[in-house]
Amino acid sequence: MFFYYIDLAWRSFKRTPFVSMLMVLAIAVGIGITMTSLSVYYMMAMNPIPDKSDRLHVVQLNTMDEGQSQGSSDNLPQQLTYRDAMALYQQDFPENKVIHMRSGFAVHLGDSSIKPFLEATRMAGRDFFSMFNLEFQYGGAWSVEQEQNAAQVAVISQSLNEKLFGSENSLGKTFYLDDKVFQVVGVLDEWNLHTRFYDITTGAFSRTENIFIPFSLVPVLEVPSWGNTNGWKYQEINNYQDRLNAEIFWVQLWVELPNEQAKAQYGQFLQAYLSEQEALGRFERETPQYALRNVMEWLDYSNVVSDDNRVLVGLSFMFLIVCLANILGLLLGKFLKRAPEIGVRRALGARKRQVFAQHIVEVSLLGLFGGLLGIGIAQLGLWGVRATENYYSALATMDLSMLLAAPSISIIACIIAGLYPAWLVCKTAPAIYLKTQ
Amino acid sequence: MLSMKNINKVYQTEKVQTHALRDFDLEVSEGEFIAVTGPSGSGKTTFLNIAGMLESYSSGDYLLDDINVGKLSDNAKADLRNQKIGFIFQGFNLIPDLNLYENVEVPLRYRGIKSAQRKQRIMDCLEQVGLASRAKHLPQQLSGGQQQRVAIARALAGKPRFLLADEPTGNLDSLMARQVMDLLEQINRDGATIIMVTHDPELARRAPRNIQVVDGQLADFTLYQGAPDMHVSSHAAAQV
Ligand SMILES: Nc1ncnc2c1ncn2[C@@H]1O[C@H](COP(=O)(O)OP(=O)(O)OP(=O)(O)O)[C@@H](O)[C@H]1O
Ligand SMILES: [Mg+2]
Repeated sequence: MFFYYIDLAWRSFKRTPFVSMLMVLAIAVGIGITMTSLSVYYMMAMNPIPDKSDRLHVVQLNTMDEGQSQGSSDNLPQQLTYRDAMALYQQDFPENKVIHMRSGFAVHLGDSSIKPFLEATRMAGRDFFSMFNLEFQYGGAWSVEQEQNAAQVAVISQSLNEKLFGSENSLGKTFYLDDKVFQVVGVLDEWNLHTRFYDITTGAFSRTENIFIPFSLVPVLEVPSWGNTNGWKYQEINNYQDRLNAEIFWVQLWVELPNEQAKAQYGQFLQAYLSEQEALGRFERETPQYALRNVMEWLDYSNVVSDDNRVLVGLSFMFLIVCLANILGLLLGKFLKRAPEIGVRRALGARKRQVFAQHIVEVSLLGLFGGLLGIGIAQLGLWGVRATENYYSALATMDLSMLLAAPSISIIACIIAGLYPAWLVCKTAPAIYLKTQ
Repeated sequence: MLSMKNINKVYQTEKVQTHALRDFDLEVSEGEFIAVTGPSGSGKTTFLNIAGMLESYSSGDYLLDDINVGKLSDNAKADLRNQKIGFIFQGFNLIPDLNLYENVEVPLRYRGIKSAQRKQRIMDCLEQVGLASRAKHLPQQLSGGQQQRVAIARALAGKPRFLLADEPTGNLDSLMARQVMDLLEQINRDGATIIMVTHDPELARRAPRNIQVVDGQLADFTLYQGAPDMHVSSHAAAQV
């Protein structure tokens, strides 16, 4: 029967092409706009590192006086002081941890072959690559020795490798960051991270960096911060050493805690560490305060998906409802005009349920067409979002689940709009239209 | 086969109450061919619709094959219509989007008959009404008489035991009308019970049994007209 209904639906579509196209267009516009906002929302809210998000934790310490706040919901600063981050990084546990901050340099090859350009650079511990699932095209992370000796080595992205060395295997080749020579030890594979969870303070949806160099170079090169630096008390900072010792927050530390037990243990350690630091007179607090948030908790805490995004999704769904209300009206007209035909079908033995099914299939077909056209409109919308360049482009795309969601939502929406008209028409008393000509 | 006792049908519209059938009694046996005559508005179509379970009745008892129709669910009535009853409506009531083949196919679709079998039946029926060559035509491409023949083919498609025809010849010239009548007689000989409403006294006379509806009641009951060999059950006569 299903194919019979499909056939009837298609005939009905062809019989009133204008009204049918109008309905499809109304659905398509509604679905297109809904899917645009939903796709962006979905990508924003999507887990950026599903296999590890439960284990990776960002470390937050409150090393401020009681009553001080950094504006977060729990008053904790989002970043750490250099001395705290280093102190924790130098511990033996947990095994996997990464210290990092964002800086930047002028990149060139020491000759006139390419024009120098400024490039954001991540100063990072060598576990950065393994912890955050980065893959290498050539080479790998720098060695422990190189990190300890603050060697001038770098891991570069595929795109930078193309720009500097024409995509060839550039291991061992050198380039300049400002006036310092760096040797390439690794070239990354493509890295499509839609939400840059590891450093939200410099923009959750910004591009990932193209250059990674050992964090141990921070004091050596006295690198400037290209990220946020927040303080809470007045301190005179006259030189880089002052900065390293100051009570200012500009470094981040991530740790991998495999289970609840490890997390509790590490928490106890942090508590003890905080008490110890307080005893040194750095700050005064009634109770030590720290936080260990995993990736999704961290994104939530940092309001990565803002309320604006949610409102936008809500609004677009309301727009879809308006479209559906219009479709409902058109369907009512179309179906009720068909009452005589339905009377005949009922007289010839169609059950109410069969008439109902026939019409639900018909609206589903409209929904399918509308959904497919809606994908096209959504692509246009997402192209518009990408064109604004406020977002990393990976964000404004539809993945497979969103592509499948579009016709599904569309069909479900149309069925909802079609329920009432279909119910009305299936109630048609068979006799009424048969009496008169 | 069909037994109606004290059937009343009242149409209640905003201001008027129409008593379309009052205390209507009728017994019909298997294999009968009955012609129903009566003035316009007397309740003939209403009777036919109730007999075909297209309409409910206000009071009374109606048994079809000893089944109390008043107690049947909507689904059961739809299934019975589909399996036992063939309709030829007063208007042709063909579905305009469907070609002749597909129009005749409708009752078979709802019966769930396989495609190959359907095709056989449909072509047989169209053959019977002489329109097989036009199977792919749409109803509006046909004359009124041809459309009526398609409607007959559709009524025959399900091989109904009970054929209800509302002025099947109303729109046809007399030659055509006689051909349709021949066809109905053929169907009746093949075993179907037929109730036919007609305005044409000549055609009515060809039916073995005539009944007349006046003002919602059986007015006159003429037995054995035209076909004295026709069997009529004794309890049908007792209804007079
Ligand atoms: N759905 C309805 N609502 C209200 N009144 C109705 C309805 N159907 C029929 N009637 C009335 O019931 C009476 C009988 O109608 P019916 O159609 O049975 O007459 P008929 O004998 O078939 O007439 P005709 O020969 O003109 O076809 C008429 O007075 C008609 O107006
Ligand atoms: Mg009538």
